[in-house]
Amino acid sequence: MVTHEDVIAIARLSKLYIPEEELDAMTKAMDDIIKFADTINNASEKGVEFDNINNLSNAFREDEVVPSYDREEILSNANDIDEGHFLVRKRV
Amino acid sequence: MKYEMVAGFETHIELATNTKIFCSCTTQFGGDPNTHCCPICIGLPGTLPKLNKQVIKYAIMAGLATNCEIANISKMDRKNYCYPDLPKAYQISQYDKPLCEHGYVQLSSGKKIRLTRIHIEEDAGKLIHKRGDTYVDYNRGGVPLIEIVSEPDIRSVEEAKEYVEKLQQIMRFIGISDCKMQEGSMRCDVNISVRPEGSDKLGTRTEIKNMNSITFIGRAMEYEFQRQVDLIESGGQVEQQTLRYDDATNTTSSMRGKEDANDYRYFRDPDLVTISVTDEEIDELRKQIPELLFQKAERYVQQFGMNEKDAANISKYRRIAEFFEEASEGVKTPKNVSNFIIGQIFRRLETEDDKEKFDISITAQQLRELVKLIDDGKVKNNLAKSTLEKMLDTGKSVTEFITESDMAGMDEGMLAELCKKAVEANPKAVSDYKAGKVKALKSMVGFVMKESRGKADASAAEAKILELIG
Repeated sequence: MVTHEDVIAIARLSKLYIPEEELDAMTKAMDDIIKFADTINNASEKGVEFDNINNLSNAFREDEVVPSYDREEILSNANDIDEGHFLVRKRV
Repeated sequence: MKYEMVAGFETHIELATNTKIFCSCTTQFGGDPNTHCCPICIGLPGTLPKLNKQVIKYAIMAGLATNCEIANISKMDRKNYCYPDLPKAYQISQYDKPLCEHGYVQLSSGKKIRLTRIHIEEDAGKLIHKRGDTYVDYNRGGVPLIEIVSEPDIRSVEEAKEYVEKLQQIMRFIGISDCKMQEGSMRCDVNISVRPEGSDKLGTRTEIKNMNSITFIGRAMEYEFQRQVDLIESGGQVEQQTLRYDDATNTTSSMRGKEDANDYRYFRDPDLVTISVTDEEIDELRKQIPELLFQKAERYVQQFGMNEKDAANISKYRRIAEFFEEASEGVKTPKNVSNFIIGQIFRRLETEDDKEKFDISITAQQLRELVKLIDDGKVKNNLAKSTLEKMLDTGKSVTEFITESDMAGMDEGMLAELCKKAVEANPKAVSDYKAGKVKALKSMVGFVMKESRGKADASAAEAKILELIG
């Protein structure tokens, strides 16, 4: 059973703010999601690996350099730029 | 009460690939900020990472060189944390199925420092804090790393230093990283705790982050050991936390309380498929690993009769070891080859970096020619030394400096002539010798050597002079 505290903890880790009045709805939604995901346990006893259902492996790339993007393009989505850097507020 | 230090290391090493781990941007050090970037390594939505083949190869080689088991099946996971050095808010790493496990590094005492695992992951970007803001450069973001995690087997600062040096030597030797601590291509986190001597329980540990010098690792560990002992002695408790070492004040200070592994919410990266390596592929890589340096040093002692110090000095640098072996091929006295390298050649390679690069003007074959002349008695050691200096200055071969007539040696008559000259030219030396100063004889022999331009045989000259003044 998911609790308010769980939701607050996960929100904190994800840097999300959840207003008090949404807490009940969010907790129920999360509980439902986890219950839904839990149905997979009924099947996994049959020895299927669910994290790789396509059974794909080794999609590799050769170690050959391709020119990088222009810096202007790289920085074009940034909120704030200075001296060719992305600029963000200082955090600890 | 006496306390014992217990330490383990997490060592990050940047791999010497051309491109980043999940995209084809260059890994070159430096460059203007954000010029080695593309949508993949700045984490734009909708991009798809693709794993660099060479990263797998290098990481397996690192594992084989440190006696690890290599996993046939391995995968990539997301390690979630929110900090501007990671544009995606997660780092792609390996969690429960690392590529290499259960290895060890052996110290000179014979003690084995066990390795828990070696896994591959991406490096983070570089942050510069100034004017109250954070400047972000993602050039380093996505550069491939291996993280080598040791068991808490280290018991002293000396063991710690040797462990780090050994790792550095091994990784350089197999050519997977330059391991330059000052440039950040090798960085260590040190986990350290203390316990009463004789106890087998582990104390609460602290982690000193991002050490980039062997000297500082030593100092930080000494400081932190003492700090923990003092804390316990005064009735306090060590708190599990992450520390930063300040080399200016030689102290550690708290960065943050230690996160639990849960906080990272690891889960498989759905964008990256399983890594599968066959035993045949692993064996193929095993063959590519050059004989590791300590095995090589041992062989030099046995095969060439070198002393341990010389063997260690030559085998330590991959290029020098190769040069030595090539120059010694078919030579009767490999000792002469090693002496020339450690003497004349090392004098021209002052720093570790110089020795690593080993940029000298002559080839191994040219040195071999010179040593063979000594073997055949055609050139005396002193002449060979001065000739080698000239060869190193110019890059030219021995035949440029020593003519056939020089090699012919001296006949009896010529030697007798020169000895006579030496006696006549040095009356003071003769009287000094007769008065009991044995050294005076050497000065006359020196005269003969100089006059003959090193061709004369010193012991024959000595005998001849004694005969003359006897």
